[in-house]
Amino acid sequence: MAGEIMISSPTHDIEGAEDVALSLRKKTKWHETLIQGTLVACGILSVFTTIGIVIILLNESISFFTREVFEITNKSIATDIGSADTTFETTASGSTLEVGQIVRIDEELMQITAVDGLSITVDRGIDGTEIGSHAADEEIEKSVRVPFREVFTGSRWQPRLQQFGMWPLILSTLMISVISMIVALPLGLASAIYLSEYASDRTRSIIKPILEVLAGIPTVVYGYFALTFMTPFLERAFFGDNIQVFNTLSAGIVVGVLIIPLVSSMSEDALHAVPQSLRNASYGLGATKLETALRVVLPAALSGVTAAFVVAISRAIGETMVVAVAAGAGPRNFEWSQVFTNFGRTPFNPLQSAETMTGHIVRISGGDLSYNSIDYNSIFAIGLVLFLITLTLNIVSRRIVERFREVYD
Amino acid sequence: MENYENLYPVDDELQKFIDYRKRTGSIWRGVFLMSLFVAILVLIVLMLNIINDAFGLVAVENEIDPHSLVIDYQENTMVNMPNTLVSADHGDLANGIIDNDSAIGFIGHAHYQANADELRLIAVDGQFPTAETVADGSYPFVRPLYIYTALDTLQSEPAVAEYFRFYLENANLVVGEMGYFPADETLVADQISLINKLAGSPQTADSVTGDLALSGSSSLYPLSRQMLVDFRQAGFNGDIGIEQIGSTAGIEAFCAGDIQVLNASRPMTAAEASACQRNRINPVEIAVGLDALAVVSNPSLDFLESVSWNELSLIFTAMNFWDEIDPSYPALPIVRSVPSAGSGSLNFLSARIFSDIALENLPTAAYADIIRDKLGRGRGRALERDQRFLADGFIFDSESAFTTACASDEPPTGCSLGARDRDNLFDVIEQEIIVPQVQETWPLYDSLFKQQEIVNRASAKYPDAIVEFKSWLNRDFLFNPQSSEAELAGVRTAIWGTVMVVATTFLFSFPVGVGAAIYMEEYADQTLWYNKIIQTNISNLAGVPSIIYGMLGLTVFVRLLLPLTSGQFFGRVAEGTDPSGRTVISAGLTLGLLILPIIIINAQEALRAVPNSMRRAGMGLGATKWQTTWSHVLPQALPGILTGTILAMSRAVGETAPLIVVGASTVIRTDPTFFSRFTVLPIQIFQWTSRPQAEFQNLAAAAIIVLLIILLTLNASAVILRNRYSTSN
Amino acid sequence: MSSQNGSTSYAVQAKDVNVYYGDFRAVKNINLDIEKNKITAFIGPSGCGKSTLLRAFNRMNDLIPISHMNGEIIYRGKNLYDDDVDPVEVRRRIGMVFQKPNPFPKSIYENIAWGARINGYKGDMDQLVEESLRSAAIWDEVKDKLDQSGLSLSGGQQQRLCIARTIAVKPEIILMDEPCSALDPIATLKIEELMRQLQEQYTIIIVTHNMQQAARSSDFTAFLNMDTEDRSGYMVEFSETSEMFTNPQNQQTEEYITGRFG
Repeated sequence: MAGEIMISSPTHDIEGAEDVALSLRKKTKWHETLIQGTLVACGILSVFTTIGIVIILLNESISFFTREVFEITNKSIATDIGSADTTFETTASGSTLEVGQIVRIDEELMQITAVDGLSITVDRGIDGTEIGSHAADEEIEKSVRVPFREVFTGSRWQPRLQQFGMWPLILSTLMISVISMIVALPLGLASAIYLSEYASDRTRSIIKPILEVLAGIPTVVYGYFALTFMTPFLERAFFGDNIQVFNTLSAGIVVGVLIIPLVSSMSEDALHAVPQSLRNASYGLGATKLETALRVVLPAALSGVTAAFVVAISRAIGETMVVAVAAGAGPRNFEWSQVFTNFGRTPFNPLQSAETMTGHIVRISGGDLSYNSIDYNSIFAIGLVLFLITLTLNIVSRRIVERFREVYD
Repeated sequence: MENYENLYPVDDELQKFIDYRKRTGSIWRGVFLMSLFVAILVLIVLMLNIINDAFGLVAVENEIDPHSLVIDYQENTMVNMPNTLVSADHGDLANGIIDNDSAIGFIGHAHYQANADELRLIAVDGQFPTAETVADGSYPFVRPLYIYTALDTLQSEPAVAEYFRFYLENANLVVGEMGYFPADETLVADQISLINKLAGSPQTADSVTGDLALSGSSSLYPLSRQMLVDFRQAGFNGDIGIEQIGSTAGIEAFCAGDIQVLNASRPMTAAEASACQRNRINPVEIAVGLDALAVVSNPSLDFLESVSWNELSLIFTAMNFWDEIDPSYPALPIVRSVPSAGSGSLNFLSARIFSDIALENLPTAAYADIIRDKLGRGRGRALERDQRFLADGFIFDSESAFTTACASDEPPTGCSLGARDRDNLFDVIEQEIIVPQVQETWPLYDSLFKQQEIVNRASAKYPDAIVEFKSWLNRDFLFNPQSSEAELAGVRTAIWGTVMVVATTFLFSFPVGVGAAIYMEEYADQTLWYNKIIQTNISNLAGVPSIIYGMLGLTVFVRLLLPLTSGQFFGRVAEGTDPSGRTVISAGLTLGLLILPIIIINAQEALRAVPNSMRRAGMGLGATKWQTTWSHVLPQALPGILTGTILAMSRAVGETAPLIVVGASTVIRTDPTFFSRFTVLPIQIFQWTSRPQAEFQNLAAAAIIVLLIILLTLNASAVILRNRYSTSN
Repeated sequence: MSSQNGSTSYAVQAKDVNVYYGDFRAVKNINLDIEKNKITAFIGPSGCGKSTLLRAFNRMNDLIPISHMNGEIIYRGKNLYDDDVDPVEVRRRIGMVFQKPNPFPKSIYENIAWGARINGYKGDMDQLVEESLRSAAIWDEVKDKLDQSGLSLSGGQQQRLCIARTIAVKPEIILMDEPCSALDPIATLKIEELMRQLQEQYTIIIVTHNMQQAARSSDFTAFLNMDTEDRSGYMVEFSETSEMFTNPQNQQTEEYITGRFG
């Protein structure tokens, strides 16, 4: 048997050598290329996601800002007009009309081509609307654009009533974020310091899973907690009838609680990364544990801790379900002058209901929303602002970590 | 240099300084610990709050008591059986049995005693009615007998008051020979003094004026009649009359003011009493003795000694021949004598015989009968068009009307669906006939520690309600679909929705996420600008608020890809209906995009942990990059990748906001398909939490427990996977 | 915290010291008298417990949760391990310089001032910083960049900064745990020169791997070795440096210093 193999092997060797020589030539391996192409596509999908987000937010926001909304002029047509009439009289009351303006009478759109006192001349049936006859006293509505400036200065948000000030939503978001940070930052940081500097391994092995459980609870459950526990608790313990069923304080506190694990775990990672030699140096100089923790370790980990804080703020701003359940439905509209005269009616009062940006988006889109309505477009404008704020915060956080990371060794 | 040394604190000053620093140190340590404790405390309070709301007392009011449906059905069956003599008059019943060789029936014990030589007494569950078995309650068919009159009548008509007194003083003397059993002596004495108090001191039979007219129970008829005869003999000289129309009919007539003195073989129910009150009739109830209902047969049925409960039920509601009860019996037809439907006797009997039968135990045919009897015609027709009750016929609709409806442009769903199954019929009965309504709920803490107070308050506030301890998290809750009635609502459709949405999410994001991670770790040159952009982009995506993903999903999946996500492209949308993109697929893909960065980052870490020697070993053997990755790197990294994926999935399970934007519905009563509208657990929780009524908070709490259990299972499996992985390496 | 006790010339004494990590005894039965204003070197092979013993002198071992010790360290007539002794104050009196330079990620000025401040220093801080940096022979190199990060200095400078930081809190004893092991020869030489200068005011205990360094710069030398049976360190020989390196009493010592093992 062995002999046979010995005899036959030389011929095989020669054939094999030829194969090797051939295969050394570089060949296009189609399936490898295909696989690599698929993998690249998977990687690029995430970029498309971002691009998609930006495009749809921009696109719908542009529709929002360029949208024509019809405003009541308190003016109406003075006589009946037939479908062939292009010039007609209007009543004297109400605001004046100008050449070029689009007006709406009943369902029909018209563009004004000339104005002569109370008589106007129009192009009928603009934008494919049906030309019809209209009876006297029919209301004339004129079209206006969503005023860009009002969006960023106005203090009332009711798109259907032509009120486009986003500040009630922004300020409520800000209030929730501030309240939640007051809760989450000190508690999260203090927990992190305890876990990193004081706790034994055993304690840490018990506490950390608990924090992970807290972090894993869905936010809608926290919303339930805010509504059914925190608000009644605040009412009974502190505020009595002064606090409304829906209020920003309760929502803010619970958002804070929900963020504690995030702050704590990110901060602890940063504290943990501080080399032991620095602690030894500190103890060697006669520092106490507290002095070491607060004045050596914490400053050394400051960039990481700051990054944690920034991410926490971003998370609080984007948090949705807690505010949707517990903060209230309906923007807290106000007047800027009230900030000085009637503070309690503004979004700054944490005891009353208010609606944040995210809460508003959820409520509007939760109903039966018709596409192309002003409400539909408006939530994308809010979404864009929200996206920009959180994106900026996340980038800032990353920059802080990269720029200020201390290099030991 | 020495002078510097003196600038540090020394001796006492040093001691104070050190003490101060140490004190500060321990205070802060306490502060740090307390902060940590707050987090733990919150977790505990959160859980307790949920448990507190998920269990507790509830006051439920049914429109109809479900057991009464059973009794009604069984009574109906009894009186409609073939070969059955039905009568309110026990004398007729006795005659029916005497006249037929294979007859059996129920009659009052007094009636039996009157015909004892022609009837055969049968033991029930081994017990014969005797003075002892009746007194100690071991004979089952014993009931107190009552006479009633209105308080006004008692006070204004001395004949009635005197007759009542006479009745109480004399009845016990004659009941024995008449086949009744005596009332308790103390009770008799108490009732006499009650009458004295209400109607003044006793007079004599010959001194009172007025007439006496009795009506009602047939069971009590012989005794009351005897008492009238004796009263007349004692000197009463007004007119006397007595009728037997049955207790139930009697009570009705009494409460309408048509009867002066009522004979009843059962006490008035609360409902009947309140009907009396409405007519300003204030009933005075006097117990006069005990009656036993006897099971008797024709003497020729000598094989029958004793019948069990089950045999009773079979004899009177199911079988037609004696040998069906027991093969050793002769094959004679069963002939029955049963008190009529309006009589107290039948109610009493069926309540005893069928007390153990629950609505759930009735045959399916019974459900259809109950629906036929109790459901309104209009509602019944509408439901029948939705889905037929019977496979072979109609309860409310007519064959022709139904066929016409099916031929129309928009045929009702009942045309294509099969008939309702047993569970479905039961649901119809529960939702349309019983209609349990939660009146009020109490949290667990109060239910445990203030139970008595709650029960008292509830029975005052909701007299017809049942106050019971309820676990909102129960079998029905898990298996029922959503409903607008809190008592009937469940999470089956939501659980299915969650499962299907998350399955879609997994099918999309796992391969794509792992693919992207493999590209980034194994193929991409991380120093190239475009790869850096991809990496930065992935980390930034992880920080985008989830609601933004919802808006992305709404635009891209729900609107742009409508033909695909609605199933229209695959022919899954019925002709003539508007396609909707708010489907399971859209939701799953949206969540897929949301968790993609998490999966990628986790998978990258897992791949990075695979030692480079693995790759070199593979490449060294002449394998291509993909072969190396597929057969060496991936298997090694798989547990880590799976752990990360499971954690990402649990994030998807709990996500709410993006699904609201994508358009999850809340009232989904049928199990979802991939191309149908859907709801998921968190949406259900959100919706219930937003309802103002307390019972929906309870439902939300129960649903939260379900959700947390699912998440806990997912996380535990991730931990187990992680541990197994780390020990094997 | 303790009164001046007699006119003993010992700065610190170890009596029957055993240090454990959990169940493992790292060093055993150490008896050692350290003379004031002298440099004492601990030498011995890796793992023999030199550093562990050194850390026992200012209770740095307390920071390792599993470690404990018995025996006494007598300083100013008081056992440092008595219950009423505060390790914080001990470490101020007995300062420490570590193997790797570990300046705080703060300015050079703050590196010096911080220790002084937490210990309640009431004098002129600028003056203290300058004096300390001068004493550590680094003043000239850093005087123009006191506000720069301590981490910006070279390794040797960092180590001298650490020494300056230690002497700013005015200890009596300075423990040095292989202070030159991470440094180049020139920087090492500078540190050794510095030690000689500091010797006038401070008692120095140094752990070193480097026998030349011990021979060059110490007055006394303790040789520790690892017991082959229970792997715990014990002291083989303790004598004046010149004595030990010229005329070792013990066979093992001789083998070690002549490089036959270690």
